Amino acid sequence: MGSGEVAAGVMRFEVSHRTTYSYRLPVAQSYHLVHLQPRAFARQAVVHHSLLIDPAPVISTSIVDYFGNAATLLRIEDEHSELVVHSRSTIDVAAPAAIDPAATTPWEDVTSRAHLPDGGLDAGVLQFACTSRLTPASRDVRAFARESFPARRPVLDGAMHMTRRMFETFKFDSTATDVSTPIARVLEIRRGVCQDFAHLAIAALRTLGVPARYVSGYLLTRPPPGQVKLKGADASHAWLSVWAPETGWVDFDPTNGIMPTMEHITVAYGRDYEDISPISGVLLGGGDQRMSIAVDVEPVG
Amino acid sequence: MKVRVERGENNNSMPAIAPQAPPASITARYARTSAYDELISPDGSIAPHWQPILSGLEALTHEQRLERINRINTRVRETGIAHDLFADPSRNVQPWHLDLMPLVFTSATWAGIEKAVVQRARLLEAVLGDLYGPQRLMQRGLIPPQLVFSDPAFLRACHGIEPPGGRIQFIAVDLTRSNDGSWRVVDTHVETPAGIGYALANRTVLTHVSGDIFAASKAVRLAPYFQQMQDQLAQRINRPDPSIALLTPGPRHNDFFSHAYLARYLGFLLVEGDDLRVESGRVYLKTLDGLQPIDLVVRCVAGALSDALELDPSGFLGPVGLVQAVRQQPSLVLNALGTAIAENRGLGSMLPQLSNELLGEDLLVPDVTKRWLGDPAVRSSVIQNIERYFIRRAYEQTARPGRAAPGRDASQMTAAERAALVEDIEINGAALVAEEKTTLGTTPSYGPNGLEAKPFALRVFATAVSGGFVVMPGGLAMTVDAGASMALTAPDGASRDVWVISDHAQPAFKSLWRPAIEAAQIQRGPREMPSRAADNLFWLGRYIERADWTFRVLRNCLSRIEEDSGPRQNLQLARMALLTLLDRDNATPVAVPPDLDEPRVIAHLARMLMTSTDRVYGLPQTLSHIHRVASLTRDRLSLEAWRTLNSFYVGRRWQPDALPRSIGEELDLIDAGLGVVAAFNGLTHENMTRNFGWSFLDMGRRTSRALNLSQLLLSAFRLAPSTVVGPEDDTGRMLFVLELADSFITYRSRYRVNPTLALVLDLLIVDETNPRSLAFQLAALSNHIDTLPQTGKGRGRTEVQRTALAMLTDLRLADVLTLAEQGPDGQRPALVSLLSRQVERIPQLSDALTRRYFSVVEKEPRWVRARSRQES
Repeated sequence: MGSGEVAAGVMRFEVSHRTTYSYRLPVAQSYHLVHLQPRAFARQAVVHHSLLIDPAPVISTSIVDYFGNAATLLRIEDEHSELVVHSRSTIDVAAPAAIDPAATTPWEDVTSRAHLPDGGLDAGVLQFACTSRLTPASRDVRAFARESFPARRPVLDGAMHMTRRMFETFKFDSTATDVSTPIARVLEIRRGVCQDFAHLAIAALRTLGVPARYVSGYLLTRPPPGQVKLKGADASHAWLSVWAPETGWVDFDPTNGIMPTMEHITVAYGRDYEDISPISGVLLGGGDQRMSIAVDVEPVG
Repeated sequence: MKVRVERGENNNSMPAIAPQAPPASITARYARTSAYDELISPDGSIAPHWQPILSGLEALTHEQRLERINRINTRVRETGIAHDLFADPSRNVQPWHLDLMPLVFTSATWAGIEKAVVQRARLLEAVLGDLYGPQRLMQRGLIPPQLVFSDPAFLRACHGIEPPGGRIQFIAVDLTRSNDGSWRVVDTHVETPAGIGYALANRTVLTHVSGDIFAASKAVRLAPYFQQMQDQLAQRINRPDPSIALLTPGPRHNDFFSHAYLARYLGFLLVEGDDLRVESGRVYLKTLDGLQPIDLVVRCVAGALSDALELDPSGFLGPVGLVQAVRQQPSLVLNALGTAIAENRGLGSMLPQLSNELLGEDLLVPDVTKRWLGDPAVRSSVIQNIERYFIRRAYEQTARPGRAAPGRDASQMTAAERAALVEDIEINGAALVAEEKTTLGTTPSYGPNGLEAKPFALRVFATAVSGGFVVMPGGLAMTVDAGASMALTAPDGASRDVWVISDHAQPAFKSLWRPAIEAAQIQRGPREMPSRAADNLFWLGRYIERADWTFRVLRNCLSRIEEDSGPRQNLQLARMALLTLLDRDNATPVAVPPDLDEPRVIAHLARMLMTSTDRVYGLPQTLSHIHRVASLTRDRLSLEAWRTLNSFYVGRRWQPDALPRSIGEELDLIDAGLGVVAAFNGLTHENMTRNFGWSFLDMGRRTSRALNLSQLLLSAFRLAPSTVVGPEDDTGRMLFVLELADSFITYRSRYRVNPTLALVLDLLIVDETNPRSLAFQLAALSNHIDTLPQTGKGRGRTEVQRTALAMLTDLRLADVLTLAEQGPDGQRPALVSLLSRQVERIPQLSDALTRRYFSVVEKEPRWVRARSRQES
């Protein structure tokens, strides 16, 4: 497929993701690990990707992380009070194959069926059945999970149930939590943002031994009818992916209560946010920082 | 017997060794339990290889043995093994005790241990190679993926990095004896060199005290092992004159002693994460002279906390960007990043099969029964028989001998606690193991009734050499509480040295202490002075001089009021000198009790200076600063210098409740203190290489001396004589300052006249040949400063140079006759103004030095990890 034309059954998006950090004190030097290049996989192709950084880094190294995501290591030596990271991508997304959640393996048996074609254990899947720093297990989280997973329920059926339940009973509220809010608190107040919901759902599935991973990406948003879409009004988004032996990985978006189709663009996946945060950094200096993000997701063609 | 050692000067009063009638033979009351015993064979006979040690000890009288124990305790304290650097010095417990009785093995027994430890090292190397490579062991189910992926020690960022010489350089294995005499592994340490410094220090202390018995028993020496280790590291780097840094988490870490001791012994640079910097894939040390490349990092910090960028974001124990540097230079860090995954206790039950698969060999020494609780079937069977087990974490952070966390024991729990434990197993099983309770073998410990059988665990160390591993012919054994855990859990730190008896005579003694310095191969270049070390040495010099000065003031003042031993003159001056110190640094002025006569005021103020913990110049603060800073720089001090200083601190003599009651005794104590300072100054003067380290130590001393002297002179001569001592007593003032400045004899030998102010001021202020004069201090400072690395070459003098030069010039231009001149009001304006300028500028000079040379440590903002979140 050339970059000029878009195949049938495929949607093409142009994504602009511009992050500006303003520091109260000058940053003498900084290192960053960036996960902004969308991932290429069966139903997603990256036609174009560019990363602009100001001030320019002295070193920029592309690596592939443990989960197969493309990542970039940066080192900036110029003293600066503002850092701009501008990622621009063109991506083709095909619709996921239709699946029948009710026809998947009962959740209790999923772990024992994570096998490679040669019969070996699929460590690549099983690693996502383990807790991580941001998805710790607890009695409450497990009880929360069991509400959607009575005995012998097909795993994706349960995942869909939990996704809907969270959409219905949790309130989106970006003031209720911050970056350091643990999932135990999110569960208690039933409020939060996409990242909180994804972490809680992942932690819940993992307490049952079900492999679940964190997905970072973008979501096409539509303006209310009759209004013009505002520039930069989109945001980076997060959801989760659940594994079943019949289907492989299938995405669920508890923030919106849906199984994503063609309007979710995957950037990277990992155990939790910490593995694949879009921009993480270690700074010398800086003091307090303010961050502003402008994301535009435009369907083209 | 729980051996607890009091930190007391009077070693004979230790409660552990109570004065009792000595038994006829040290083995007379030795009682073997049902457990396997090292000393007594099952048939009741004494194992022959113990005989030389037993004979050696029995040849001594009971009192001589107690004397040896006391000497061991003193050495342990003075070596600093026992210290928790930041612990309250008035606490009496010493967390380390070395038994007079070593643990002794025949070379045949040891050969078995060696084979097992080497096999285990090879096996774990192969396991790590797979986990950080193709991961076939997980695919084949030989290692459960959930075990690996639940352990934060598995570092995903390090997957695919292949160090050519292997990942394990240092390994340690903790062993116990089963009832049938076979060995079992309790824990394996492959993250850091795991307390090897303690084993080395124990050996040094015990052979110091019982060297005769050591030699007679033909025990194998350790030095060749460390020589091999040094050679191997040098070989790994494969370039001449390599720089090797030992990366420690710093003095607050409970294994710091071991790190510092090892670095000192092997001649490595002791560095912390902040001292290093990664640039373009190389690691550099920040030194006074700019960045110096480091060829090899001996890692004594947790791998997960070594790079905040790519590993645990809260980990700043290594330089930011270390993982990327290791990608480009895979053998940069040893042990390799990520080795701790092989310590996971859950692997224990899998090793026999892994050994067959990976090595094609049966595992020689398996682990004690450890069952990984991530497996649902294991989980339910363990929960049903939970009293039979200790529940422990599958991975543990500390490798300090004796500090392993005790296991949780359901048999000691209430029903509610037990229910909580079961729930924890069900939810967090992947991070837990169940360890079957068993008895531990015993070995003799020397106690008040002679030898007693104590359960023990043994730590054995090995290091990689080309083509395999070699085992250190010795180790560390600890008395462990079999009721708490199988591991090296020994809060009392009851430890013993391990001797391997050779079949043949041992070659002549060869210590590495000197070869490490002489051998050209591994050596510290004179320019590799980390800014942090320079800073610490500067402050060490300042505190040493502060202690010296405080002692001198105390001696001078107290001797004036001692009964019948000197003229009771100039007591107001003594009071002034004491108050000058007590009120330093804007302390709340001391309120002198009004109803005391002058001698009692002096005694009161002197005692305050000796005991007050909230006065900056109080002796307790000064002495604890000396101890702390000396500990931080001990890798740069000679052993003698360190021991000299440490003897200051470890005695409880300076504690308020331990101070003597009579002035005569106080004076004895002060003289002893002055002796220690003099000995330290002599040792550093004689033994320290004249590199930057010496410069900073000496600059600290000079700065402090200049400040003390100018402040004393200012206080003494600021006020009109009449307000203090009466006009006839100018002589008294002069005698007082001459004496404090240790220049009285110089004055008398030079002038043979009663003090004349102009001559006294000449001697104390402007005479650059008097090592106690102000000008001498400034000239010395100025000389040091001129030899320091200057970055702005060709751009004129630095701020530091200018400040020092201005102060020195001010003194050189002074005319002593003018300084001595009195105004109509009795004031000496020229003198006061000169001294005020000095007093004001000395802190400026110190600050300028700090800004220029230590700023990389002190002034730079800290690294922080920036975080944000996904919000939609």
